[in-house]
Amino acid sequence: MRKRNWCIQAAAILAVALPCAGCGGGELSASALSKQADSLRSLAAEGALLAEDASAGKTTRTFSRVHSSDLDKAASKAAASLETAKTKPALESERRRLASLAQRISDDLDRLGNASKGEQRSLANELQRAAEQSNQIAEGLK
Amino acid sequence: MSLKNFLAIALGILSAIGGFVDIGDLVFNTQAGATFGFQLLWVVVIGVVGIIVYSEMCGRVAAISKRPVFDLVRERTGFGAGLATLIASEVVNLLTCAAEIGGVAITLQLLSGLPYRLLILLGVVALVVVSWTLPFEWIERVFGYLGLCLLVFAVAAIKLHPNWGKVAHGFVPGSHSGGSTMVYFYFVVGLLGAAMTPYEVYFYSSGAVEDGWGLKELGLNKVTSIIGYALGGFLSFALMIVAAVLFLPRGIDPQFLGTPPLASADAVGQLGLLLALVGILFAVGGAAIETCFAGAYNLAQFFGWRWGKRERPARASRFALSWLVIFALALLVVMTGYDPVKLTEYSVIFSVVALPLTYLPILLIANDRTYMGSHTNGRLANVLGVVYFVIILLVAVAAIPLLVLTNGGQG
Repeated sequence: MRKRNWCIQAAAILAVALPCAGCGGGELSASALSKQADSLRSLAAEGALLAEDASAGKTTRTFSRVHSSDLDKAASKAAASLETAKTKPALESERRRLASLAQRISDDLDRLGNASKGEQRSLANELQRAAEQSNQIAEGLK
Repeated sequence: MSLKNFLAIALGILSAIGGFVDIGDLVFNTQAGATFGFQLLWVVVIGVVGIIVYSEMCGRVAAISKRPVFDLVRERTGFGAGLATLIASEVVNLLTCAAEIGGVAITLQLLSGLPYRLLILLGVVALVVVSWTLPFEWIERVFGYLGLCLLVFAVAAIKLHPNWGKVAHGFVPGSHSGGSTMVYFYFVVGLLGAAMTPYEVYFYSSGAVEDGWGLKELGLNKVTSIIGYALGGFLSFALMIVAAVLFLPRGIDPQFLGTPPLASADAVGQLGLLLALVGILFAVGGAAIETCFAGAYNLAQFFGWRWGKRERPARASRFALSWLVIFALALLVVMTGYDPVKLTEYSVIFSVVALPLTYLPILLIANDRTYMGSHTNGRLANVLGVVYFVIILLVAVAAIPLLVLTNGGQG
């Protein structure tokens, strides 16, 4: 019985620890912010590639709409979590910059779903710039 | 080669495309390429040779003893160890099947734009209808051959003009750059796990018994496992190369099933996108059927029930009910809305933990003259089998700690 209880406790700890691995509590550290910036860079860069390929007629309209919506959901989730996140006062300006960048990326990705070819080209440039800015923030935090 | 033998190779092709290249390979190969470039290509070679070695053993055991692997696992290892193997493999099968169903729904959504949850339901209904109505040969042909559309990734890899010198260098294990050592080892474990997933050998050996393999099919078994899995490995190389050329320089971390087809679109255009999506749909759909049937085969073989896709459901009712229940449970898991890509990462890493339980009994049985007569392992098969078993043990021990420490490869 004692062994069984131990197994149940271990399973419970694992179940909680796996999804939370890397969370690091309620306050975002510089490293956690840097990871968020890397993740935003990835979303923006993928959005830029999608916009570029869509404007060149290399994707279908459905694919662009569905995939940009998936990217948008992730960016929007990141924006919401950055908006409410707590961090050390020294990192507050980076947090705000990232939150606003995440919102801008999410808005661009939202527009990409139904954009015309011309809009897709300009969104590709905007998203590429956002990716570079995210990268700069991430590098600054490392 | 006779027409019958040629058609029999379809079994290997289905296992290769639907089994080797499944959602796990799509996820791990593109993520590995996007993180470490070509530096992990050597792991795919190790994984491919490993699955060839053990599949050949399984096919040979099935052809000589006329009994599938799980049947012998219980007899050889006893009830307790057999039950532990059964539970571990059923959990991994269920998780993998759920991830594959999620992959089918996402791919259908990328093709049609219809709501995700509706497509999960439609996808499962379609897979159940196909599994119920189509004979085994037709399931092999439809999913195996349409899965070959994934070859578009090889075309994309060539059209993206990688630095072939660096690609060749990636086949040599060595020091790495671009990410932390922990993350590097996490991908080593993940790529090996994705290549050597246990359900592949259960499905392969049960398929061999169902196809009535005997002594005459031993040569065919060798050809099927080598060609089938080599083709799977070739596609894995292509996925990793494409990700290394297109995603790594842009800082894209592929976290969506729509990301690999985007690479095909970029290199080949709209036709490339559609071929990639159709290939993924059938490879992942085939793998969903394989995992589901592997789960039902294991249960039926462990408890000694009548089993077989060729049996009428009324005659093998518990077997038929098992695969229907596995599909239903997998459906429930996916309907929770949990991200299929994350589910894939967990299922691959947990399958690594179950690998020794799967492969040790195979190695023991393939060396047992009681079952194999004069067809026991030769020296090469034994050396490779033992070396791979040691590798499997090491990665099984490291898998969960690496998953936790790297936060699922995120660093």
